[in-house]
Amino acid sequence: MALNAYTRRFPALEILNEEQLEQIHQGMLRVLWTTGVHMEHRGALETLERNGCVVDYDDWRVRFPPGLVEECIRRCPSSFQVKTRDPSRSVTLGGNGLHVLPFPGHHTIDLDTYEPRVPTRKEFYDGVKVLDALPSVHGLWSYTPYFGFEGVPPSMCLLESMAGKIRNSGKFLTEGYSKGSEEFCIRMAQAVDAELCVPCLLSPPLTYYGDAIGAALHGADAGFPVRISEGAVYGGTAPASIAGALVSACANLVAPVVLLQVHKPGTRIFLHDFTFPQNMTTGAPGFGNIAIGLHAAAFNQIFRRYGIPIGNGAAVPASKRIDFQSGYERAINATIFALSGANFILMHGGVAAELTHHPLQAILDDDICGMLGRFLEGIDVSEDSLAVDLIEEVGPVPGHFLNKKHTRQWWKHEQNHPHAADKLTYPEWEKVGRKGCMDYAKERLEDILTNYAPPPLTASQEEEIERILEEARAYYKKEGLITSDEMAVYRQGMRSSRYPYE
Amino acid sequence: MEFKRGFTRRFPPLKVLTDEQVQAIHRGTLRVLWTTGVLIEHERALKLFEQNGCKVDYDNYRVRIPPDLVEECLRKAPSSFPAPARDPSRTLMLGGNTLCLAVAPGHKTVDDHTWEPREATRKENYDAVRILDALPTVHFFSPYTPYFGFQGVPSCMAMLESLAARIRNSGKFQCVGFSNDSEMFSIEMAKSVGIEILGTCAWAPPLALYRDAVESTFRTVEAGFCLRVVGGQLMGGTSPASIAGAIVTGNAEVISGLVLAQLIRPGTRVLVKDFTAGMNMNTGAPAFGGIEIAVHNTACSQMFQHYGIPIDQTTAYPNSKSPDYQSAMEKAFRVMSAGLSGGNTMLFHGSVHGELTHHPLQAILDDDMAGMMGRYMEGVDVSTDALALDLIEKVGPVPGHFMSAKHTREWWKKEQYVPNTSDRMTYPEWMTSGKKTCIDYARQRMEDLISTHKPIPVTDSQEAEIERVLEKARAHYLKNGLITEDEMREYRASMQSPNYPYE
Repeated sequence: MALNAYTRRFPALEILNEEQLEQIHQGMLRVLWTTGVHMEHRGALETLERNGCVVDYDDWRVRFPPGLVEECIRRCPSSFQVKTRDPSRSVTLGGNGLHVLPFPGHHTIDLDTYEPRVPTRKEFYDGVKVLDALPSVHGLWSYTPYFGFEGVPPSMCLLESMAGKIRNSGKFLTEGYSKGSEEFCIRMAQAVDAELCVPCLLSPPLTYYGDAIGAALHGADAGFPVRISEGAVYGGTAPASIAGALVSACANLVAPVVLLQVHKPGTRIFLHDFTFPQNMTTGAPGFGNIAIGLHAAAFNQIFRRYGIPIGNGAAVPASKRIDFQSGYERAINATIFALSGANFILMHGGVAAELTHHPLQAILDDDICGMLGRFLEGIDVSEDSLAVDLIEEVGPVPGHFLNKKHTRQWWKHEQNHPHAADKLTYPEWEKVGRKGCMDYAKERLEDILTNYAPPPLTASQEEEIERILEEARAYYKKEGLITSDEMAVYRQGMRSSRYPYE
Repeated sequence: MEFKRGFTRRFPPLKVLTDEQVQAIHRGTLRVLWTTGVLIEHERALKLFEQNGCKVDYDNYRVRIPPDLVEECLRKAPSSFPAPARDPSRTLMLGGNTLCLAVAPGHKTVDDHTWEPREATRKENYDAVRILDALPTVHFFSPYTPYFGFQGVPSCMAMLESLAARIRNSGKFQCVGFSNDSEMFSIEMAKSVGIEILGTCAWAPPLALYRDAVESTFRTVEAGFCLRVVGGQLMGGTSPASIAGAIVTGNAEVISGLVLAQLIRPGTRVLVKDFTAGMNMNTGAPAFGGIEIAVHNTACSQMFQHYGIPIDQTTAYPNSKSPDYQSAMEKAFRVMSAGLSGGNTMLFHGSVHGELTHHPLQAILDDDMAGMMGRYMEGVDVSTDALALDLIEKVGPVPGHFMSAKHTREWWKKEQYVPNTSDRMTYPEWMTSGKKTCIDYARQRMEDLISTHKPIPVTDSQEAEIERVLEKARAHYLKNGLITEDEMREYRASMQSPNYPYE
């Protein structure tokens, strides 16, 4: 099992031809120049104007000349390393590597009733521990595993989340921003000698607010990589046609690419296609829909051509439970993301879209990732694997391959070995009490919680993390974003002898 | 989704082998066919091979096929061919860039709450066929489907009763198996009702073809019908454990079946089946849901696109025992690999656990997964209207939106797949409407189809012919001792319902 990435050893799936790629590229250039993008950040507008863009300050509108767009796309590195707290978990984003990351949930969930609820501090920290233990989790995404936990005021959720991930995992990190939180997150990452991928989130269509641009510029100034996420809904904030949604996505994402490359040339950027269709009869988001996979494969093909690392997802379902629907919605889209050349996909743990997350789900997803990883490895075609001499030796029936050294050497290499899947014959299944994948996943969850220990922080690192948190608490209190009552509840939640882990 | 004559892939297939690897596997296959040879337990076939330049060892039933003959026969088989159905609107073209999905059989039905297997009743068999006929993503029926037999039917009549039920309750294209010469009666039944069927030649790996399989091949080809040649290897048991080695043996088997068919009648329409599974070498259990099958299938698709021969992929059997998360992911990988890599057919719908159990509820769930795959294969429309540049310009940045645009009304359903049994509610709607799951929706659809779907009926004369051939077969097997007097009494007793043959 690869710890740091899966490697695709055959050409990526391509669903657009050259002419179609060119049409989408031209469409993007036209939208960026003719329609332009709304960027609510004075400094950014000035920088872009200095570099040849046409800026309407009253309307915060920037129009990007095609030559500058293409130049800035070329400035992006096609592949780059990101430093992690545990050096053995550092990642290289780009090329034919695939990383899988967890998907956050606003809440945890009761697995009997599927009722969502706010997790406790312990559940949050245990959730991170499980993600750190799973070999197919290559990094930790923003807000994961949960958007917050009991007792934490909203303005501190991202920072407590960041602290929880730093304390209980040595893996690659990206974290969100809100009310200037990225400043504190950047310092926490620096305190443990890791890099943080700072996001820049679009408000589609074609709009970036000041905090998004501010976070991206802060990240670039700190020398960290920046991820730009597109979250349009086809039919709502993007055209309902996939080709139209692709043009829109390209324009949305490339606008801040231009800003970052003129602000600090060579900035490491990766792009995230987090788009989905809308059920236009009910307004419900179309998580799990196959249109996501079509958009993603085309998106990946476009940005592989541009040479910018990309990712998709989440591969999360419309189903609210861990069931048959959830399994296929997740597996189908994840497979498409992986085969079409994604450099990262979001999947582990998201039970019902962005609403709920559970570590048991992450354990089940670890098996999907194992299967995907094995598929991406492709086929070894060598003298030994072709085994023509062995086939000659065995001959037709009654010959067989059961007792051959070649079989002992090859079978484990060729197969994937899932942890939570039921692999028994029917009679064996009856004998063991009809255990299903959920039962095996529960056993693995218990095992990880009991036996796994994430790489610890040093005492001085822990002290620095707590000091930054305290500084943030004081800052948001002063800004009026934490009331006295909220602070009292928050402090109450920090009294355990096992703080910060419980 | 309406019935379509298969799903059309509108972009190039996924390729996991380089051209050099394709050549290496092909060379390995030619060497095995010439050096190792295959066992073919059939005098007439051995003579035919010998007359066409093969080396034949009659004592050991061993045939060694020269490379030029192999390549000549590969060229003779058509790359794509019609598969006519009783209902002409269901006729398929197998091959090319089309994927047709079929029913995955189960030995038994299963209780859809406890997942205990049990033998299906006659009514359950006929109702299940009717449901499968109604599902738009079931393009044709495979042998033994939906069940290997049903209550009261002696085992030697199971296949023929299965075919009779499928002809009576479905207008779709039919494939048949063989056992104790059953294909004689299958062919007679098909001809007497004026339809074509896909016959079967199934290997006993490694590299052995027994008499009954060869007989089925001769009878099918001589009837002018198309033939499915099936490998059936377990990697590590009846083929090498390495995927490349397993492709070589699988290729050698199905290609020598193809050579036989072309020698009997040049130009015979052949569908080869890569029917491969891994084996859990710790326990001996077949690893039905293993990802290595998808890897093997993908490479085999590429090999047979190179040869220009339609290919059927390993049946999408899950290891899980019920329609749960594991079952879904195991099936999803398989149908994805088939659709993306250029597989032409796959037995997909209805298998609950391996070859053991089948249920129409599962087939209804699978219909949605298949529908997603079908939509995916259509790819992306990149027309001026789809690109929508003028609309993007008109809407502009926030607070612009696309909700009220005519373009949205025109495009959204075209771009999405709208499933029948998926929970697509928002969380609050779901909580207040009884937390219904895909299985609840599938049950509703199953009840709806049972009460409303009416297959295209057989004519009175077709019905009379089906029953005549069944009676002829019953008499044949009674005379041959394959049906005892007691079995026949029980069998006859099961045919007394006023709604016979449907109940």
